Amino acid sequence: MSSSTRALLSKTRFAAGMSPDVVKRLAALADVADVPAGSQVIREGEPIAALGVVVSGRIALRLNVPGVGPQTILTVDDGDVFGWSAVMPGSRSTSTGTALVPTQALLFERERLLAAMAEDCELASAVYQRMLKVVARRLAATRVQLLDLYQVGHAS
Amino acid sequence: MTLDSGRFLPRNELEHLFTALQADGRRVVGPTVVDGAVVYDELTSPAQLPVGWEADTAPGKYRLRSKGGERAFDYTIPVTSWKRFTHPSVVPLTRGRRDEGRVVVESVIPDAPRLAFVGVRACEVAALAIQTRAMRAGPLGDADHAARDEAALVVAVECATSTSTCFCTSMGTGPEVRSDVDIVLSELDDGFVVRTGTPAGARLVKGLGLRSAAAAETDRATKQVAAVREAIGDPVPAEGLPARLRAALDHPRWDQVAERCLACANCTLVCPTCFCTSVAVASDLDGAEGSTTRTWDSCFSLGFGRVAGDANFRPQVKDRYRQWLTHKFSTWWDQFGSPGCVGCGRCIAWCPVGIDVREELRAIAPADAPSGPIPWPRSPAAGRAPAPLETVLPATHAVATIRALAAETVDTTTIRLACSDPAILAAQPGQFVMVELPAFAVPPISISRMLPDGLELTVRAVGPATSAVTSLALGAEISLRGPMGRGWPVAEAYGRDVVIVAGGIGLAPLRPLIDRILAERPRFGAVRLYLGARTPGDRLFVHEMRALAGRADLQVAEIVDRAGPEWTGRVGVVTQLFDQATWNGGRVTAYMCGPERMMQATAATLGRLGVRPATTWLTLERNMACGVGTCGHCQLGPFFVCRDGPVFSLAGLGDAFGREGL
Repeated sequence: MSSSTRALLSKTRFAAGMSPDVVKRLAALADVADVPAGSQVIREGEPIAALGVVVSGRIALRLNVPGVGPQTILTVDDGDVFGWSAVMPGSRSTSTGTALVPTQALLFERERLLAAMAEDCELASAVYQRMLKVVARRLAATRVQLLDLYQVGHAS
Repeated sequence: MTLDSGRFLPRNELEHLFTALQADGRRVVGPTVVDGAVVYDELTSPAQLPVGWEADTAPGKYRLRSKGGERAFDYTIPVTSWKRFTHPSVVPLTRGRRDEGRVVVESVIPDAPRLAFVGVRACEVAALAIQTRAMRAGPLGDADHAARDEAALVVAVECATSTSTCFCTSMGTGPEVRSDVDIVLSELDDGFVVRTGTPAGARLVKGLGLRSAAAAETDRATKQVAAVREAIGDPVPAEGLPARLRAALDHPRWDQVAERCLACANCTLVCPTCFCTSVAVASDLDGAEGSTTRTWDSCFSLGFGRVAGDANFRPQVKDRYRQWLTHKFSTWWDQFGSPGCVGCGRCIAWCPVGIDVREELRAIAPADAPSGPIPWPRSPAAGRAPAPLETVLPATHAVATIRALAAETVDTTTIRLACSDPAILAAQPGQFVMVELPAFAVPPISISRMLPDGLELTVRAVGPATSAVTSLALGAEISLRGPMGRGWPVAEAYGRDVVIVAGGIGLAPLRPLIDRILAERPRFGAVRLYLGARTPGDRLFVHEMRALAGRADLQVAEIVDRAGPEWTGRVGVVTQLFDQATWNGGRVTAYMCGPERMMQATAATLGRLGVRPATTWLTLERNMACGVGTCGHCQLGPFFVCRDGPVFSLAGLGDAFGREGL
């Protein structure tokens, strides 16, 4: 781990409210990745290699719809995560993540992260709390998207 | 009211009163028996009065029965009310023509007959006054109603009998006639004690050459109406009822009564104060000539709360019954300074399933029920309710000419209009106009830009009228009525940061606000614009927004609900745009417009960021058919969205915002 990795993690929204010690231990697990625009960071249906936290840039999470093509259902910006399934044992990616612009991310290799979380309850708690928030927020947003509010028939 | 001391009209001289009214140039309307019921109709002679009849009423029941004798006014309450004459079920509003793109729309000038209403009960005197207040609450008032109301002379008759459905005593409207009426009759066995309350009434009665009423006669008149009061009792706990009802919006009884209610609208049709209407459109075969007609409607109609695209704000019977009951006994106070019920009991007798409004009130808001918390603040109109407009003129229609058309999306077009009407040109950001093209319905459309010589409207083609408007050619004309409603309070944000949140076509009414803020840019702190749309292809004013995003003194963020791979912007819901917000909400005045559910989510997010409800402004959509608060369609709790809004503060709406079925 370099001090710059810790600095990068510290400034993200993901690390907000995390104790400096936990940030330090978590940063020790991180690799910095510079993802060129158009590169895929996760692929729908494939095993997740790492949990990612966007430091800067934008990742599109897409589902492929046969006959229609890839549809972006969410974009992940600074401080948000992709590959959250990494913290779920045996999970595969639910979407394909593609960088829309040059993106810098912190990647937490899945096996190392799970092993660290198994050993370090404080770390696990901090990560799971944030994962739960992410999933809950996305669930709430998806519900609103399902309503298709801007479609004719909804007051606007 | 100061009634004179009373004259006496022998029964066999009642004809003279009719003759005097007719000599005054009036047609006499009064009670008569038709098909087994007493109704109000045109009369030529007292012989047509319901002499010797009395009514037996109960929930879901009305029966006339003969009691004999010569008394003509013991039938209690007729089926129909006087609104049939002051607020007829069908009234022509406008006539319009289209010829080679030219458009002329004119209001129909009311031609009110001079009528004399004979046999008006105390509760009905109150009903006439209540409906007049509703029709004249402003900003324009209803010209047809005003003309008919002013042309009518009222001959009231104090009740000498009551029926089981009467409750005027609880509503404070009777049985004694206390309001300003021209003439009041009290029927005795051998004639009538006649009192007058206006110069017109006094002049008429003077012409009859009547002797003064004897003390015994006035005493009998007083005693018989006192007996009626005693017989009715006080069946509704009216004291404090408005507040108790407001606090009972989630009472389980609404579900129970909805299981019985057929939503047939009988109660509103027989009600002497219900004033809700819809606009019907007629056209000749080629659409060159059209007319609009105001027709009675009811808040019980399924479509009454429906807006473009079939969204419906009161889809359940429960919602509609609650709207009716709370309006009558609670929110009417906010709007017009009185209850909307006079206790005549027609809605009880003519309910096919016998729902008794008194019983419902006692169950939902009994005297010992809590009267708080109140879910919404007072209506902004409440203060002006007691002072109805003195003069009501027919609506004016401005002509506007199409100068440019710009397709924004597949179904949305921005129309640039030239218009010289001073009122239209003085419109404020957030106001709307009623757009009329002869032979089509008249939709409310938000102004999307003010220009020195006209305006822009951004119209989504969701029905025949909006499709017709967006299909017009350059140079074609349309008719505009307005501007309507209260706009965005721009000055509220002077010296403060501004956050503007737009969802879908909600950007259109915000665009004049953005224009105004940019025109006065130094007056504001940081200005941030957050835009949401369904897809990239559904975004409005794309080039303009891109130009704004390039300005150093403005921040623009946008997001779409879904997108294909060609889109490199954000995807998600509008509230996601605030994830990285670090600004101080306490310094922010926020303005938003979009689907109501989106605004609810945004309001919650803004609240978490510290933006106060009093500085969070939003514009609502409801079915705005008249634009001036007289058709009743756009009610939301105590508010008429067209008149009190469409722009409201979050604090001003209180819990009325986002509440299901309101």
